[in-house]
Amino acid sequence: MVRTKVALLTAAGAGAVVAALAALPHALNAQQSIAHHQVPAVKDGNVVVMLCDGKTSMEIKGLKPGQRMSRDQAMGVARRLMAAWQRQHPGEHWQMAQAQSPPPGAPSPAAPSNEEQPANAPSPGAPAAQQIQGVPIQQQAQPQQQGDTYASFHERDFRVWQNETQKFIDYGKQVFHSDKLLGGTIGVSCDMCHPDAANTHPETYPKYQVQLQRVALLRDMIDWCIENPVKGKTMGPNDPRLRALEAYILAQRKGVALDYGKH
Amino acid sequence: MSNARILLWCLLVGSLIVSADSFAAGPAEFDANSPLAAPRSLDQIGFPHQLYGWLIPPDNPQRPPKIALGKQLFFDKRLSEDNSEACASCHNPAKGFTDQQPTSEGIHNQFGQRNAPTVLNAAFNVLQFWDGREPTLEEQAKDPIVNPIEMGMKNFDEVVAKVEGIPEYQAEFKEVFGGPVTIRAIQQAIAAYERTQVSFNTPFDRFMAGDQNAISEQAKRGWSLFNGKGRCMSCHGVNPTQPLFTDNRFHNIGVSAHKSDFVPLARRALAILARGGGAQQLDELAIQTDMSGLGRFLVTKDPHDIGAFRTMGLRNLLVTQPYFHDGSQATLWDVVDHYNKGGVQNPFLDGGIVPLGLTEPEIDDLVAFMATLTSPEYARAAQAEYRAQLRRSRTDRPQRDTAAAMGLKGRNGPGLGGPFGDIGPDQMAENPALLGGP
Repeated sequence: MVRTKVALLTAAGAGAVVAALAALPHALNAQQSIAHHQVPAVKDGNVVVMLCDGKTSMEIKGLKPGQRMSRDQAMGVARRLMAAWQRQHPGEHWQMAQAQSPPPGAPSPAAPSNEEQPANAPSPGAPAAQQIQGVPIQQQAQPQQQGDTYASFHERDFRVWQNETQKFIDYGKQVFHSDKLLGGTIGVSCDMCHPDAANTHPETYPKYQVQLQRVALLRDMIDWCIENPVKGKTMGPNDPRLRALEAYILAQRKGVALDYGKH
Repeated sequence: MSNARILLWCLLVGSLIVSADSFAAGPAEFDANSPLAAPRSLDQIGFPHQLYGWLIPPDNPQRPPKIALGKQLFFDKRLSEDNSEACASCHNPAKGFTDQQPTSEGIHNQFGQRNAPTVLNAAFNVLQFWDGREPTLEEQAKDPIVNPIEMGMKNFDEVVAKVEGIPEYQAEFKEVFGGPVTIRAIQQAIAAYERTQVSFNTPFDRFMAGDQNAISEQAKRGWSLFNGKGRCMSCHGVNPTQPLFTDNRFHNIGVSAHKSDFVPLARRALAILARGGGAQQLDELAIQTDMSGLGRFLVTKDPHDIGAFRTMGLRNLLVTQPYFHDGSQATLWDVVDHYNKGGVQNPFLDGGIVPLGLTEPEIDDLVAFMATLTSPEYARAAQAEYRAQLRRSRTDRPQRDTAAAMGLKGRNGPGLGGPFGDIGPDQMAENPALLGGP
């Protein structure tokens, strides 16, 4: 299987060069000819974090490989790197996407303030499946199935499907906001650069990704991001966490037209 | 037959008569005071609170006095014509709310055509009865009372008059429903009691909640087969919101094709139904005639539904044997054998029923998985039944057809002889269970 090294953040997005925190040189990363950013060497062996532009980087004083930052520290690093990038690109507005309100029906964004969310914490934007909880299903006058076994569905079926889908997305949201669930080693989680999955433009996949030097699916970029800025292990495309992350990111862009290959 | 054998038979039959007499009435005794008959706590691992909340009818909320009244009615033989049969006669709590008979025995030793489905978790069914001919537990509860070979009351007026003639009931109906006895109130009380018979808390539920040691390695392999090669999940759907192992729809899997010639039977049924006898006629056709094998067709008159029966949930299935709508299969091995060979061929067979290519160890694994669906209150009985079925399966496999299961003969045989071409078992099917999930 082709191991994928991916990031959620695209360097190639039109004007949307975004904060990705690139990896330390990975000595063991020779499996694929996928491009890896080289971070500048520093004297004391401190961790160096780099954006996905491959240029903007920052040494973190006192943080050695294998050590973890607190959430506040990690967010501070992300902020300073992004500020540095913004100084170099005064005309770019990477946070524009964040400000766009999602279409009706989509869960409304709200950046969580606490690190660990309770299990199954519902999205604040209460989608349909949660709003209908506890409301009894009307007894239907018509029999549920008439002949066509696989195409006749009861209202309950839709509720069950919505509920299961929402649980999957909520789990993805949890992973998205948790460096621990992501398997990160330095305290960084996805939301620090992508509040509410902003600027992930899932609708533009598949597309050529310069970080990977090949065509990527959304999940490939997520996995790259997990390995690089988050400094975790790649999950591989079938990992339940990766699948849930992809679901959450897509759910945040409900209603946006598909536009594969767009940069 | 040797003389000794004949003698033995006489002794056996003699002893059966004696034991039947000693019970005085009805085919099966039940214990209304058993803990198994009591309303169950909803605080169970795996209990689908959300789904349950959606299902309680607004006009029949769960209230303890009503549930108590419903329980009393459920176990009261006076609801039958000759005071010999209660609901519990065929839905015995000690037997997983079934009678563990192929088909059920009503008054005057008469047998119907259908296997008694369990009351356990029946609250979650979208439609009731094997053919879904009633939409709710309320509607379901009334039919057997007036079926001539089940409880045998002439009509609902007679039922109401009889119940009203019992002083204790008069007071209780007044207290619970604020008025005299009505058939509607009887239905609502029984349904409310039945909605308390929810049964989860199984090893499987603990496994789904994250306890990797709750089920055996063999059962885990079975769970993978259930999701993958065995294709069970296609119809016996299960997820945390709806953990009932059913799609609540109707499928022809070929069970009644064993003994039914569907087309002439369907013509006969249409002629009778055209006379418009209503719900009671439908009930009688389903319970009392050979047209029972037409299943869902009797309700919808749609040819696609010929021979189709409701997908049963699988929980506690080691105390609800035998299996299928006619109780024709004694063991879970027989059931898996039936599916493994692609069901029984007939023109109305569901398209999803194909040979599975399951090997003998895989069949054992699947059954081991199904054994994890037993709630703790039935654990001991289910364990005994599992051992008995396992023993039987080593020698007695009436449904096994390995060549058909492996796609080597019949409609899938070499030469593409069958009506569906060369659809054979997919032995390389990826196992979706291995994909995991939250």
